[in-house]
Amino acid sequence: MEHKDHNDEQELVEFERKLRMAMQHREAPLGMKQRALARARERRQTQRGHFWMVQRIAASIVLAAAVGGFAAYRYNEERIAEQKRGEEAREQVMTALRITSRTLGRVNERLMENGR
Amino acid sequence: MKRSGVWASLLALGFATGAAGIALGQDSLPAPSPIEKTLAERATHVTEVTLDKNMLAFASKFMDADKDDGGKEDKDDKAVKDMIRNLKGVYVREYEFDKEHSYTAEELEGLRKYFESADWSPMVHERTKGVAEGTDVFVKLVNGQMQGLFVLDAEAKELSLVLILGPLDIDKISKLGGNFGIPKDAVKKAQKEAGK
Repeated sequence: MEHKDHNDEQELVEFERKLRMAMQHREAPLGMKQRALARARERRQTQRGHFWMVQRIAASIVLAAAVGGFAAYRYNEERIAEQKRGEEAREQVMTALRITSRTLGRVNERLMENGR
Repeated sequence: MKRSGVWASLLALGFATGAAGIALGQDSLPAPSPIEKTLAERATHVTEVTLDKNMLAFASKFMDADKDDGGKEDKDDKAVKDMIRNLKGVYVREYEFDKEHSYTAEELEGLRKYFESADWSPMVHERTKGVAEGTDVFVKLVNGQMQGLFVLDAEAKELSLVLILGPLDIDKISKLGGNFGIPKDAVKKAQKEAGK
C-alpha cells in the first residue's frame, strides 16, 4: 500500500516537472516571426491566386461564349442577307425574262399580222 | 536603236491594252443612255433591270433553291438557269405611259443607235408611218453563233428595250418559242445575211 502511494507521488512529481517545462517561457527561434508571417502571406497569395485563376477561367468562358454567339449571330445574319439578295437577283432575272418574253411576243404578233 | 525598240514595245502594249478594252467593252453592258432618263421622267411606270455576268451567276445559284415537295427542281427555274448560265449580261427597260406616243421618233432612233454597234445584224426593222412606233430586233452573230439579242419595241403607250449579251442557243430559243416568241425563220435569215 505504501509502495503504491510512493509511485503515485513519483508520477505526480514527474507530471509537474513536465508541466513546468512546458509552461516555461522560452524565446522563439530567430526569424520565426518572419517565417510565420511569410508562410501566412504565401498561403494568402496562393488562395488569392486560385481565386483569380477561377475568375479568369470563368471570364474566358463567358467571353468565348459571347464572341462565339456574336459570330454565330453575324454568320446567320449574313446568310439571311445573302439569301435575300439572291432572291432579289432571281426575281430580277424573272422580271427581265418576263419583259423579254412579252416584248418578243408582241414583235412576233406584229410580224404575223404583217404576214412575214 | 535601243530607244526605238522601247518605244515600239510601249506602242504595242498600248495597242494591246486598247484592244482588250474594246473587247471588254463589247462584252459588257453599256452605261444607260441619256435618253432613258427623259423617258423615265415622262413614264407612269418604269421597270429597269440590269444584271451583269456576276449578278446572273449569283442569281442562278438561287434558281433551284425553291424545290417542290418531291425535291424536284422547278421546271421553269431549271430552264432559266440553263439559259442564263453563260450569259454575259441582261439589260431590260420598260416604260409605260398614260398618253399615247409620249416619245419621239428621234428618241427611238437615238436609243437604237446608242445600243447598235458594227457586229450586230438587223433581224427586224419595222416602222409605222406617221407615228413614232416601231420594232427593231438585232442579233449579234459570232462565227454563226448567236452571241447577243437586242430588241427595241415601241408601242403606242409602251416602250420596251431588251439587250441580252452572251451565247444564246437558237434551237433552245426556238423550242421555247411559246415563251420567247422569236420567229425561227427570222433568226435563220439573219444568220444567212451575216454569213454573206
